[in-house]
Amino acid sequence: MPDLLNLQQFALIYVLLVVILVIMKKCNINQSKLVIVASVRMTVQLVLAGVVLTYIFAYPHPLLTTVYLIAITGFGIQMILARNRALNRKFKLIIGVSTVTTGLIILAFYIIIVLDDHFFNPQLTIPLSGMIMGNAVSGVALGLKTFEENLQAKRHQIDVLINMGVTPQKALLPLINQAIETAILPTIITMTSMGIIKLPGMMTGQMIAGAMPMTAILYQISVIIAIAAVTCLSVFCTLYFGYRTLWNERNQLLI
Amino acid sequence: MKGFKLEGVTVKDVVTYPDLEIKGGMTTFITGASGTGKSTLLKLLNGILTPTTGTVYYGGCEVLTVDPIKLRRQVLLVSQSAVLFESQSIKENFHLFFDYRESVPPSDEDIQACLNRCAIDISLDKQVYGLSGGEKQRVFVGIHLALGFDVLMMDEPTSALDEKNGDLLLAQLKSYCEEQRKTLIVVSHDKELVDRFADEVMTLGGMP
Repeated sequence: MPDLLNLQQFALIYVLLVVILVIMKKCNINQSKLVIVASVRMTVQLVLAGVVLTYIFAYPHPLLTTVYLIAITGFGIQMILARNRALNRKFKLIIGVSTVTTGLIILAFYIIIVLDDHFFNPQLTIPLSGMIMGNAVSGVALGLKTFEENLQAKRHQIDVLINMGVTPQKALLPLINQAIETAILPTIITMTSMGIIKLPGMMTGQMIAGAMPMTAILYQISVIIAIAAVTCLSVFCTLYFGYRTLWNERNQLLI
Repeated sequence: MKGFKLEGVTVKDVVTYPDLEIKGGMTTFITGASGTGKSTLLKLLNGILTPTTGTVYYGGCEVLTVDPIKLRRQVLLVSQSAVLFESQSIKENFHLFFDYRESVPPSDEDIQACLNRCAIDISLDKQVYGLSGGEKQRVFVGIHLALGFDVLMMDEPTSALDEKNGDLLLAQLKSYCEEQRKTLIVVSHDKELVDRFADEVMTLGGMP
């Protein structure tokens, strides 16, 4: 196992930020302030997370793990809803319920059944929930964005179909299917490039920390499949159940 | 032949309609200045919109009590601008719209007959992207004819057509509706078309 990173060595990585800033200046990209703010935010947020996790790992308790889970899930859902303010209340509720339920089901399956461990073991649950819930949130956000963009582009076609006596369900379904495909495709494409183009972050981290490559690879494969499953399931549930709130009992579109 | 009746209908405090009656089995033109609610009226008649106040009747029944999908299939609204699947052939377009309605697609002969009624004689295998705007409009109307209806409502049906083809399309549609004892309702700004084809004229928002 390599020597532990000390703070002076760690500080050297920030030199690379200067490279980014120089290139941005050279290319007249006026985002230097954003790079600095993002770097500072990332550092502060991760240090705070480190402090919190150190405490939780030192004093493991189901309540603390639960609070952590609620917090990250809440932030994730809040991020999706903030980008989709125009959606009706029922759709928003479905987004929350679908993301939480599918995330928890996949997380529980992975920890309890695949890893045969305790669900409230913070050392497993906390990092894995971050990855699983994070991907569920990104998938749902991408699926909703695709659906809304397609709906806007094909609004006239949808109206024509409804004028013809096509049910809103049938008229909107192709847009839902396309949004689900767009949302899950990045994860599937990532799977195809894994191990050749890049070694994934989690596996790299485990190996740097001293794990055997084969052990790290088994964890990585299982995590990626869990991520693909949660992305697919959360996007499907959100869109499939959510789009049914877009028309009323008279089959009139409410959007 | 069922007709329509409107009593005390308003839509969101924006449009107020006089009490009016549209008789079944006739060709009724709806005219009026922009913003008087002509297109909105068509949507009220086939239940795409629900009036804020008042009642719309179709064949003596309140529109709100009729199954909305059945109503829209009987009272068919042809939108002003054509929507077709550009990468498909004319025949495939007919089939796709029938698929959406979960109906059995028409035979090639039936498709050709519907196109002829819309004053267009064209190969069914021709790709839609190669058609002119006017041809697309007539194919689009042809699909509606194939779907079948009791009432055909058309919003500015000749807007994409030249005068000759516009006249021909309306003449053929009117004669088809008369033969089949169907109702034709047309929203149009074109006074000449109104004079030539209307059995009844309904002017919204006062005199044109």
